[in-house]
Amino acid sequence: MTGFLLPLLPLLPWAVAAWLFGVGLYAIVTSRHYVHLIGCLSVVQASTYVLLLAAGYRHGAPAPIFYSRPPTLAVDPVLQALVLTDIVIGATVTALLLALVLQLHKRRGTIDPERVRPMRR
Amino acid sequence: MSPRLRRAVFLLACVCLLPAFAHVASTMPAFGAHPLPYGDLINAVGVRERHVTNMVSAINFDYRGFDTLGEEFMMLCAVTGTTILLRGTRGETQDRPQRVPGREIRPRADATVLICRLLAGFTVLFGLYVLLHAMTTPGGGFQGGVIIASGLLLAFLGEGYRGWRHVAHSELFDAAEGGGAALYALCGFASMLMGLPFLQNMLPLGKSGDLFSGGLMLVENAGVGLAVAGGFGILLLEFLEETREPEPVQEDE
Amino acid sequence: MSGLIAVLFLLVAATGTIVALSRVPRHQVIAMAANGLALSLLFMALQAPDVAFAELAAGTAAIPLLFLVVLASIRTDLITERVERPAPGETPPVQKP
Repeated sequence: MTGFLLPLLPLLPWAVAAWLFGVGLYAIVTSRHYVHLIGCLSVVQASTYVLLLAAGYRHGAPAPIFYSRPPTLAVDPVLQALVLTDIVIGATVTALLLALVLQLHKRRGTIDPERVRPMRR
Repeated sequence: MSPRLRRAVFLLACVCLLPAFAHVASTMPAFGAHPLPYGDLINAVGVRERHVTNMVSAINFDYRGFDTLGEEFMMLCAVTGTTILLRGTRGETQDRPQRVPGREIRPRADATVLICRLLAGFTVLFGLYVLLHAMTTPGGGFQGGVIIASGLLLAFLGEGYRGWRHVAHSELFDAAEGGGAALYALCGFASMLMGLPFLQNMLPLGKSGDLFSGGLMLVENAGVGLAVAGGFGILLLEFLEETREPEPVQEDE
Repeated sequence: MSGLIAVLFLLVAATGTIVALSRVPRHQVIAMAANGLALSLLFMALQAPDVAFAELAAGTAAIPLLFLVVLASIRTDLITERVERPAPGETPPVQKP
């Protein structure tokens, strides 16, 4: 059993990223509640973090912080900087989406994507 | 499109994309052995060139400092949009707690108040520590700002809405958010005034490994920290306002 | 790949699946916090302490709280409507705590 799975192990990071993206998107497509939908969007976001950091990882290399040792080969700091800002911006954009949901709930009295009709003037 | 049809279309798309994923995953460089030319270059020259020991901060505030300016303003836009959306329908302040009829309201346990009071101060202090150590050890304006904001959240849990609003004023957060973003942009213009390219470091770099090394990066880091802490403070405050009702009544909390 | 990293990848996949498939938003918020925690552990193992800090503070504390506040605000609105609708002229019954 393990002998069969071992060659597939290096594919695990990409598989996890793809799975998070897929399962998040599936839940968004079938969602019946906007707050739930935004929660699933955070899963899709997490898949990008996993993908980027997995691509920047290097076996046995330390973190790119050279406070207590001289600069050597280390994990990629560029992708870490990307993900770092992405997390903070993603959080504020999530807040913006939640504000839109609250507004929708006040105006239309529903937060079910199936029951929201296009706006008319 | 009916929900069932939509689900079927989604699953069909997944099945079609699966071979593409398998192809990409199998031809990618193996996990842990990616060629990383850009990162390796920065790791090799970063400490010597910029006199800071945290390469992530060096990229955020110097090598790719212009990208961070964009992110800063993206955050400003998101926070402004949230504030406008929420304040637009209810005005600036509301004072009465909204209640679910028939639901018992239990007073906060003493242990909760004590722990939150103790931890809130320490969390804000830790956030400041993380913020200040951006150039040497893991940390920086982004992380420190969010940690400070979660300290504010602990203060809310411990003191309740009314006590929290005594210290958390929206003007303070607005000023921090806007001022932080402005500080970052002004850093760039300061370099231009001295005839250098936008955001070029013109302050003395200091000794690497020192807390105050990095020159202009320190100012930019402070700007980002202010903006993130202020932005998350605004978000917490505006969303908590949403659970209040507009009519003023006698104080009962 | 070390065993720890593999286990953390699987943990992230599992908690992410729970977030996506829990249909009750109240439960989902707790799953989201767990997912944030798993992600920050994974980032720590992938030698990204800066990112782990940000994920821990934003994904585990700040964002779940915003979700909870939004759910509370939606729920109080729904219930006031339900109480007020049958008798719009009368004052709704006020429950004393």
